[in-house]
Amino acid sequence: MAEPLLRVENLCKWFEVRRGLFSKPLYLKAVDNVSFELMRGEAVSLVGESGSGKTTLGRTILRLLEPTKGRIIFDGKDITHLRPKELMWYRREASLVQQDPYGALPSFMNIYRILEEPLLIHKVGDREERRERIFKALEEVRLTPVEDFAFKYPHMLSGGQLQRVAIARALILRPKLVIADEPVSMLDASVRIEILTLMRELQEKRRISFIYITHDLSTTRYFSEWIYIMYAGHLMEIAPTKELISNPQHPYTQALLAAIPDPDPENRKRFRKVPPGEPPSLINPPPGCRFHPRCPYAMDICRREEPPMIDLGGGHRVKCWLYAKR
Amino acid sequence: MSTPRYEMGLKAALRELLSYKSGVMGLGLLLLLVAISIYTVIAIPYDRAISLWRGEGGIWLDKPRNAAPIWIKYLIGKNLPENIVLDTRVRRVGVVKAVTPIPGTNFKKLYIEFTFNYPYDGFPSEINLFFYAKYNATAPLLRIYWVKPGGEEFKLMDYMLRAPDDILYLSINPEAYRSALRHVVEALGKEPATELPIEVCLFGVEDESMLDVSTARSLKGTYKLIIRGTLFGEDADVDVKAVIYGRVWGLAGTDHLRRDLTIALLWGTPVAMAFGLTASVAVSIIHLIIGTISGYYGGKVDLIIQRLTEIYMVIPFLPFLILLATFYKLTIWLILAVVIILSIFSPGIKSTRALVMQIREYPYIEAAKAYGASDLRIVFLYIIPKILPPIVPGMIGAIPGYVFLEAGLSILGLGDPYLPTWGKVINDAYTNGALYKGYYYWVLEPSFMLILTALAFAMLGFALDKIVNPRLREL
Repeated sequence: MAEPLLRVENLCKWFEVRRGLFSKPLYLKAVDNVSFELMRGEAVSLVGESGSGKTTLGRTILRLLEPTKGRIIFDGKDITHLRPKELMWYRREASLVQQDPYGALPSFMNIYRILEEPLLIHKVGDREERRERIFKALEEVRLTPVEDFAFKYPHMLSGGQLQRVAIARALILRPKLVIADEPVSMLDASVRIEILTLMRELQEKRRISFIYITHDLSTTRYFSEWIYIMYAGHLMEIAPTKELISNPQHPYTQALLAAIPDPDPENRKRFRKVPPGEPPSLINPPPGCRFHPRCPYAMDICRREEPPMIDLGGGHRVKCWLYAKR
Repeated sequence: MSTPRYEMGLKAALRELLSYKSGVMGLGLLLLLVAISIYTVIAIPYDRAISLWRGEGGIWLDKPRNAAPIWIKYLIGKNLPENIVLDTRVRRVGVVKAVTPIPGTNFKKLYIEFTFNYPYDGFPSEINLFFYAKYNATAPLLRIYWVKPGGEEFKLMDYMLRAPDDILYLSINPEAYRSALRHVVEALGKEPATELPIEVCLFGVEDESMLDVSTARSLKGTYKLIIRGTLFGEDADVDVKAVIYGRVWGLAGTDHLRRDLTIALLWGTPVAMAFGLTASVAVSIIHLIIGTISGYYGGKVDLIIQRLTEIYMVIPFLPFLILLATFYKLTIWLILAVVIILSIFSPGIKSTRALVMQIREYPYIEAAKAYGASDLRIVFLYIIPKILPPIVPGMIGAIPGYVFLEAGLSILGLGDPYLPTWGKVINDAYTNGALYKGYYYWVLEPSFMLILTALAFAMLGFALDKIVNPRLREL
């Protein structure tokens, strides 16, 4: 088996919360004990509701947040605790596409300058080479005619166009890993698929590893080979996209899939099984399985012990006592 | 979608500025002040300005004391007396000088006759005679006569030169005064009711009105000042410059030391502009940088900067400045440095910091970190350009404050000891009781210049504010 591009081992990101000057600090465990491997050229979707820690996980992997525990191994190198100067090569290899295209670009720079910044920081090429690369990048995200777009300012573009610029910026250093954090959730429905297919196309063409963070299971099928389901800081289920959608194992995944609106009016009266309650507090998570307070199948052991990751074969893994062979 | 205007470039910004009335006026006034400054610095270089203001070489001696500006005549509709300078060394109509040897001796007879027209209302402020003589052992002996229009010649006094470059202050000479008064009494047959200055005796209409200073009128016509004398020695010679000082002089008038006020008014312009602009720009940029660093880095850096700012806020700025200026006579550039140093950590930092703490969380900053931008790069290329535009109008608007601060210190007598500035003129006026004595021009002229400067920058600031403010809502 080939060496994975990214290996995350027992990664934790805890935020310190202080109630008072002398009280013991509490920890908000946004990401707790997460492990997975990402192969070269593979796209995965990281799905979870808001507050599940999926954004924090993405940011920690990019080292925009300092990991609390665990290890991040990228391309065979441990980058968990590297200092900013030693990280420069990683900044070139891993990049970020953000949710809000309106805020993601500095309003006082034109598009050309925005795309030139990463090249300048990493001292890529001379003036002429940079120019060529910027124009090519704009062409790739189909902002043509390139000469027109290059010297516009962000406020002159639409949301979809801005997100294309953001994607061009994320790809201009030719990274091996791109983390896209809800890249289409703030866009009009009409341009979402366009942006997603564009990203998918570029991902396949360049064989980039891609982590697509979303709360929307329905968009993942356009995109990824794998789906990771995250709940309250834990990875709950990992499976190939088709397998997960057709054969969800974890009760939480089943509930998520059931909650997708059905466009068929025939089914409008059908009752949706949505688990009661809300995601738990991350400062004081429930003992055992974090989903047990809302789980229809909760057993005694679920309340006492955290379930292990259970391999169901074919890469399908699930963190649930239901599948434990005892 | 609204157009963020500052991104349209300098030319467009200027056009935008000119679409506001206050912008046009502010820019016009500013250009005027800049033109005055450039002219001044070229026409009267720094060293010359200082030597002029100190009156080196007695250059102001034939200027009147406390004379109003000449255009006052048109304002009040009275033909106020101007300066009359008569000099035997300058050949012109009305000046006669004759030296004739007395046969059989080596003495010479001197005859000087100054004829001048006096068409003015009111009396001259002073009369002085400046002598430029050459002699060996014995000083020339002179007799001075005065002839009123249509009147008889009468002798004012005898005078023996005390030095080759002697000055006869005719206005305060008792002998001349006695003769002039005697002439008046003889002409009118009465003693005057009040004391008559010699200028009134010499220039007044000789009737009942002259007996009282307040009703005396000047006699318009051709006057003569005659000097007869005897020179002793072959090469003895005397030249005379007679100055009948007026009551108006020049474009700006003169002060108590006969100095031309235009020098101070002109030199005050570049000084005020340089002081205000430098102080305001330096202080704003320092605040911008420190505030941004404080807000962006947070943690210990922020803690130190914020506590320092709070300590600075407790130090009373003006009293401290006055204290320093009192102990050490500071030049204007030192005052500027002290003002900037005293404002390094001031409340402006707090507002910048608040703004930066907000911008720090913007996605584009996170994106920049993700592609490896260093903290310094983020501070200077990502945050400061974002908050600079709303700060510019404030920076321009703060300039008058610093101009007034400098003037205020000068008025208190704490300004630059050498440079002529507007504040110093007001200080002179104040210590010499200008308003009490009615020398309004002395106070009003520098005040007008101060207000003009303040107005120029304030109006420019208002206009810029209107242009930049829509951005503020977006921040």
